[in-house]
Amino acid sequence: MIPTDDLISALAANLRPVRRLRPPLLRATGFLLLAALILTMIAAAHGWRPGLLVRLAEIRFALSLAGALFTGVLAAVAAFLVSLPGRSRRWLWLPFPALALWLSSIGYQCWRFWTPMVPGGAPPGETASCIATLVLTSLPLSLALALMLRHAASFNPGPVILAASLSVAGITASALTLFHPLDASVEILMFNLGTGSLIVLLGGAINLFVSSRLEIPE
Amino acid sequence: MTTPPVLKLVKGAAAPLPRVRDLDWSILMARAQDGDANAYRRLLESVTPYLRAHAARCHRNPSDVEDAVQDILLTLHAVRATYDPARPFGPWLTAIARRRLIDRLRRQGRRRALETEFEPNHETLADPSANIEDMTKIHDITAALDRLPSRQREAMRLTKIEGLSLKEASAASGTTVAALKIATHRAIRHLRQFFSGSGT
Repeated sequence: MIPTDDLISALAANLRPVRRLRPPLLRATGFLLLAALILTMIAAAHGWRPGLLVRLAEIRFALSLAGALFTGVLAAVAAFLVSLPGRSRRWLWLPFPALALWLSSIGYQCWRFWTPMVPGGAPPGETASCIATLVLTSLPLSLALALMLRHAASFNPGPVILAASLSVAGITASALTLFHPLDASVEILMFNLGTGSLIVLLGGAINLFVSSRLEIPE
Repeated sequence: MTTPPVLKLVKGAAAPLPRVRDLDWSILMARAQDGDANAYRRLLESVTPYLRAHAARCHRNPSDVEDAVQDILLTLHAVRATYDPARPFGPWLTAIARRRLIDRLRRQGRRRALETEFEPNHETLADPSANIEDMTKIHDITAALDRLPSRQREAMRLTKIEGLSLKEASAASGTTVAALKIATHRAIRHLRQFFSGSGT
């Protein structure tokens, strides 16, 4: 272990100016604008799901979509706030009402749609297109969040990764609902949870890497 | 500055954060973010006693405390861009310190689960001369060795007690390897008889 005074001298000697992070709400807005841009591009390339306007008039469908979308938005805000040292961890509760709304409607739809879908299954083309939407939405959003929240890796990664993956899951599910006639089924949930788990695992690995690098050699 | 006696003075104390100091720290950090190395050094030197007081509440060992302080300082350095000068410095610093200390305690807990602490007891019992039971046996063994014929005693001493190889023992004693082997064999037989109670 080197003396603390020497460490302080070394840190001060190697000090480089840093650009302060912009306010968290502004950064969350930037991320959500990117998400909106991606959804618009998919809408332009793929088109909306058939009969979207009719479905939107159904209260349960509208609630499910709003739940997923608000979960995505509020979880992103929570992730940006919690990623900063000194901010209250209570912000993590922010997306929970929207999440409850979303999960309750998914439960209902699983019960209603999952069984009839099993015998015939979705047409292969539709499944491929559905997976493409999932990847095109969740991958860039996950990467953007990982990049924007990377400073949390050496501070408090767990809750930030949780909120960030919830945000990506919400936005991805909204995209699926908007562009594909396949209503919320188990595969969407599995993909979303899979993405989240992957981020958590990657985050854990990054955290281990960072903390082991921060270890002071004896 | 970092002097070890400070540890004892503040250990167990909550070390409240003075408001004036918080403002100073805030200004120094804002300058440090702009690249002012002097301000940064002053800031780090000024927060170190506070961090040490914090760390002393979690660790008893002074070197652990110092390790924790350095860990916090390195994290502070890594995330210094996240500080917003419009907000108070204290909660920002405390959050980093608390997070780092919790991580360290968890890591320490995991490590301790795999290790047995080395206590003075272990050393005392491992040292043969300090162990009363072993001492008795040593006396018995010494007495038994004394009863052996001198060639057998010499062979035992060289090969079994000093742990020389037959070749080395042969060179040291000036006898042949075969003679050493026989002498050792007989010595062991005698000792066995002695300890089984049939020896004289």
